[in-house]
Amino acid sequence: MQVIENLKVKEKVYIEKLENGLTVMIIPKKDIQKKYVIWGTKYGSNESTFVVPGETEPIEVPKGVAHFLEHKMFEQENGTNSLDVLTSLGVNANAYTTNDHTAYLFEGIDNFYEALDELMDYVQHPYFTDENVEKEKGIIGQEIMMYDDYPEWRVYLNTLEAMYHEHPVKLDITGTIETISHIDKDVLYKCYNTFYNPSNMVMVVCGDFVPEDLLKEIKKRLVDKKANGEIKRIYPEEPETIVKERIEQKMQVSIPLYTIGIKVKPLQEDEKVKNHLAISILLDLIFGKSSELYRKLYDAGIIYGTPSQDFEFAKEYAHIILTGQANDPEKVYEEFKKTVANYKENGIKQEDFERIKKSLYGNYVKEYDDVADTARMFLADSFKGINSFDYLEEIDTINLEYIEQILKDVFKEDKMVISIVRN
Amino acid sequence: MRIMQDIKTQIKEGITLHTINSNKFKTNLFAMFLTTDLNEENVTKNALISLLLRRGTATIPTQDELSKKLEEMYGGSFDCGLDKIGNNQVFKFYIETINDEFIPQSDEQMWKEAMKLMLEIVLNPYNENNAFSQEYFDQEKNTLKQLIEGRKDNKAQYALNRCIEEMYKGEPFGLFKYGNVEDIQKIDNKELYEHYKNLIQNCKIDIFVSGSIPQRNDIEELIKNDGNIQKLQEREAKYSPVIIEEKKNTQNDEKIVEESMEVTQGKLVLGLDINIDDEEEKYNAVVYNAILGGSANSKMFQNVREKAHLAYVASSSYMRHKDTIFINSGIEISNYEKALKIIKEQIKDMENGEFTDTDLKEAKKVITEGIKTIYDEQDSQIVYYFGQEVSKAQDVNIEEYMKKIENVTKEDVVKLAKAVKIDTIYFLKN
Repeated sequence: MQVIENLKVKEKVYIEKLENGLTVMIIPKKDIQKKYVIWGTKYGSNESTFVVPGETEPIEVPKGVAHFLEHKMFEQENGTNSLDVLTSLGVNANAYTTNDHTAYLFEGIDNFYEALDELMDYVQHPYFTDENVEKEKGIIGQEIMMYDDYPEWRVYLNTLEAMYHEHPVKLDITGTIETISHIDKDVLYKCYNTFYNPSNMVMVVCGDFVPEDLLKEIKKRLVDKKANGEIKRIYPEEPETIVKERIEQKMQVSIPLYTIGIKVKPLQEDEKVKNHLAISILLDLIFGKSSELYRKLYDAGIIYGTPSQDFEFAKEYAHIILTGQANDPEKVYEEFKKTVANYKENGIKQEDFERIKKSLYGNYVKEYDDVADTARMFLADSFKGINSFDYLEEIDTINLEYIEQILKDVFKEDKMVISIVRN
Repeated sequence: MRIMQDIKTQIKEGITLHTINSNKFKTNLFAMFLTTDLNEENVTKNALISLLLRRGTATIPTQDELSKKLEEMYGGSFDCGLDKIGNNQVFKFYIETINDEFIPQSDEQMWKEAMKLMLEIVLNPYNENNAFSQEYFDQEKNTLKQLIEGRKDNKAQYALNRCIEEMYKGEPFGLFKYGNVEDIQKIDNKELYEHYKNLIQNCKIDIFVSGSIPQRNDIEELIKNDGNIQKLQEREAKYSPVIIEEKKNTQNDEKIVEESMEVTQGKLVLGLDINIDDEEEKYNAVVYNAILGGSANSKMFQNVREKAHLAYVASSSYMRHKDTIFINSGIEISNYEKALKIIKEQIKDMENGEFTDTDLKEAKKVITEGIKTIYDEQDSQIVYYFGQEVSKAQDVNIEEYMKKIENVTKEDVVKLAKAVKIDTIYFLKN
């Protein structure tokens, strides 16, 4: 196995790419009793048009299939439900779907290998019938309705709608009650066979293990399946421009929710990590806890906390998301733009930059405290072609000049949008 | 298995230091809890104090200086909040920093800085002429108002809070932890500062340190010599130890509360009372709850979600400090009667002992596995030991706790089920 060590956090990752194409990553953790395994496929809500390996014509499936599949995978032919089986083994099992991947996981202390049996068994053996597919539509329907009641989710989705003309990242991961009504077992099998091939999957395990022994155990549980060819994923052409600068929805909330979005050009392959780090530092400088902008808006009684910040990206898109509550979201947006312009003109102070960099470093170290956080981070990063350790290493290479360059390239006024949810 | 221990040291009467030593974490976690009686007169005042303490200290007078200080400590994080435990209001303060081991230039001793900073924030707030800064006071009154009004934003949480409020009307536990909007305007700055000084002189104080800490003696020394601690008097702490209360509602009527709001999905919450008189029965209640709605194998999940497809969320949780169980579900509004009927059937089934030995065994496993994760989580360790600290059943360690769960029999669960009664049914619809 390939071993990569990071001396800063004193952790190692063991990586092996198996013959069938599956990538296995193991992060041993001494003295921790919890064990966490996560098995993901590079297949999320964004993939609805693609060419099945071996075929020539692209097919289009209804929105929400990746998430629907995630729900249905637990059902077994012998009538059992794998979630129940895992629960009765005393482990905490779950699954989730994002824009670019789907993952199945469990966390537990005892019965690890029994639970691994079940996890690897159900992910490799789909069982869909007309009846069990129909039944799931009711449950997912309730999940969709539950999200409709979350103003935080609405304000976020609306931001994406204001930024993206075509790209499916703007759509709800679950699909809608209408789109899922078109899902049947044939569609599910088609997508399963295409995307749940080992060559499209990564497994990450974190806990107190001897990596070589664990790898053997994993191999034993793999069904005989050959790596398939490349899956051609087709995304609509997305212009660099935004759709509209403002979007608003009415919902019952005590104070308005806002999200400021910034649409960013897809990142260059070799600059992803550095870009990401620089953007995180800039967001903290501009609108973090110690920022002038936060103090000013707080003192004026407009906001009550710093916005949460996120930088989301995949190969063909990238955007910044800032979300918070404010009495006067327009004022927040206006002041945010002014602050950005001001930094562009007058530059950033060296001491502020160094301080925020220190703080960001500490936050990356904290990610290694919990087996779940660590494993999930390695999985999500690996689907983006990143080794998570790179963040700790590359942070040293970032200097003030680089930050100021990114500020100019990324924080462009004509790429900003504001989404508001209020009464 | 490494045995985790909470070593207690009395700093002064009513002020306890707890150290939980472990070198497997990347971070050290420092916590300080102030425990005081929960009552209508003080609940809003205390909430306001908790907000004001974040604003600055006598030596670090502004929030941005405080933030800068934490950023310099490699992204130390400070957090504070309020909790209701039994009939107590608990102020919680946390500082988390990375271990000195992971600091690039490691001549720094961050644990000292973190501890001193926490004591400074809690015990030496920024003040002007024996009052909080008037500017901060006015701003935080406004923040508190928003916090209280904001509780309607998360509909599921709101429904649960409303059910608690209805179930415990007129009792301390029925109070919302941030108080109420009407009382905010009545608060006077000078009086509030006086109330704060009183509070820190009389409340129960627990200080926790979890992580790879140098020497317990060093920590003890540092705390005892800290000027802010020296100002404090010995006290017979004024708080309400958690005891088993007699349930007053013994009639058979269920209180039904319906409320309308703009929601797409209805939120149904049931508050169940458990009438027990022995501390040991709490373990039966933990197991009862796990079978009823504590996991994916539970009756709620299986019957409401998997069989009837009525909900995505269908679960229950046991509030140990009040011996109450809350059942939660999000359902189509028109399915109210149907869902309620199925939920009631599950409760009845428990009473009739309609669950298998496997159900019992699996429920226990879910509980013990959950308990074991405490070893690996610093915050859970602190919360667990604090729970022991404020309850009458002091010092049941984690191994003993698991043993007690193992010993619960089917008869125990059925006996407990017979002591369970629906008190309040709350439904949020449109």
